[in-house]
Amino acid sequence: MTSATPTFDARGLADILDASSPEQLDALDFGVIGFDADSKVQRYNAFESQAAGLSPQRVIGEPLFTNVAPCLNNFMVAQRFEDAAFDASELDDTIDYVLTLRMRPIKVKLRLLASADSTTRYVLVQRR
Amino acid sequence: MPFDDSVESLRAEHEALMQFLYLAPVGLVQAGIDGEIVMINPISAQLLMPLSPDGCLTNLFTALEGVAPELRLQCAQYPQPNGMVFEGQHIHLRAEERRGVPQILSFTLLKLDEARVMAVIQDVTAEVRRERQLRQSDAWLNAILTRISDYALAAIDCEGRLCDWNDSIARVTGFGEHIVGSPYSIFYPHDAMTGEHLFDRLREADANGWSMDEGLRLRADGSQFWCSALIAPLPDREAFGDDPSAPAYCLILRDISDKRAATEKRRQAAFCDHLTSLANRRAFFEAAELELERAAHTPRSLALIVFDADHFKQVNDRYGHPAGDRVLCDLANVLRDTFRAVDTVARLGGEEFAVLLPSTGIDQALASAERLRLAVSTRLVAADGAEIAYTVSAGVAVLDATAEGNIDLLIKRADEALYIAKAQGRNRVASWTPELTHHADTPQRSRHAG
Repeated sequence: MTSATPTFDARGLADILDASSPEQLDALDFGVIGFDADSKVQRYNAFESQAAGLSPQRVIGEPLFTNVAPCLNNFMVAQRFEDAAFDASELDDTIDYVLTLRMRPIKVKLRLLASADSTTRYVLVQRR
Repeated sequence: MPFDDSVESLRAEHEALMQFLYLAPVGLVQAGIDGEIVMINPISAQLLMPLSPDGCLTNLFTALEGVAPELRLQCAQYPQPNGMVFEGQHIHLRAEERRGVPQILSFTLLKLDEARVMAVIQDVTAEVRRERQLRQSDAWLNAILTRISDYALAAIDCEGRLCDWNDSIARVTGFGEHIVGSPYSIFYPHDAMTGEHLFDRLREADANGWSMDEGLRLRADGSQFWCSALIAPLPDREAFGDDPSAPAYCLILRDISDKRAATEKRRQAAFCDHLTSLANRRAFFEAAELELERAAHTPRSLALIVFDADHFKQVNDRYGHPAGDRVLCDLANVLRDTFRAVDTVARLGGEEFAVLLPSTGIDQALASAERLRLAVSTRLVAADGAEIAYTVSAGVAVLDATAEGNIDLLIKRADEALYIAKAQGRNRVASWTPELTHHADTPQRSRHAG
């Protein structure tokens, strides 16, 4: 891994995030939520924690689409991950979305990352 | 208590409250009286984001505009300084093929004061399904238990023809003995029943044990009365062997004119568009579902026409929203006068209307659409001293007897045809052809094409 901090739209970002330590994720200037095959949250960086007002202890191990970010539980986001898992296909797409961080509507870009050979999938969040 | 501890406990409490709101399994929104969103929880975003025409959640009424165009107006017109503007109002979304996608939202709007409202939004799709089944049973009980002044009882054969005549038929309908052998549709106004519907009711009676409908029925002298009609299969019809003219069903006609006002009011509230009193989305999708079920059993063609008022935004901008509303009401009146009682004429949203025509082929549907277009082009709507002329464009699609399809496909095709009518200069009717879908460059919705 290079020492330069990866950006939101960097190529091969999933591999870089997989290899990053929690401290390295905390240094990023965008939100990182990593979750496993059961949709349980495994990684949750400081940027996201600060934006949502939730500490990682309240979030890690919880099911993402029901207990952490139910706002993503529709065909625009959750369904995309489900379809990718079902087809064992690659998912790397960036969409405009609105998150309800601290109950305020916040316009963001979401980057959805999943690949057949990594067990961790990511929702990355950048303000727009 | 040391200072640090109290700050820490306050922080923990704040976080717990935040998470409580994040996890609440209903949508909660606080907005200004004009719909500008101040606070919003995640379930609201989950339900509203797929509907939001601009991909934003800046304004609650804008996010719901495509499926509930009248909310802004109804909120503005709410007369009290505070109180419940809507309680559990159902908003029907476009029917989706995918399972698990919400189709019906329940919407509650509380006006806090002159500046603020709060909304509760819930997905009630599964709940409404269950209720619909119960409603059928209710209708049956109601038919049995309601006190009635008079009823006509007739026997009909397996083809829907009247087998006999008696005094009760004469009392309620005025028809004489000569009606024996006629189909039971003679009790219906000519545009309120199709040949296929006549058989649909018999088949539904076979399948469910009974079939009931309510509406205007005809007396021998041409006058009409509000009637509840029940068809039930006779229990021992096998005894008649294969005789096709033997009694197979009983038909009960009840004159319920005196109860019409009450049932109409209930029906209006649930199935009518607030502004135009046409069918609303809910009534439209229920009618479409029923027609497609019937067509799946006994194939026949089903036509859909979508109408869109041309340059409607300009009418609103130039003359104001109240004048725009008058134009929509005028269009609704022309639609009502042009189509048959058996057709479902609905407002789907904004300036977008749809008419579902059972047992109708492409030629007949195109002719009806053209008749409507022509009638509208001669209209002038009075508004504040001005007279507004307006036009409509129409897209026509038909599911013929051999084709498999669903309402989404039919709507998509009619929309593609509408897009062509708009692109060719508006104030015209276009019909769907397979090439339209193959050139898939037409946008999914033409609602904002003006």
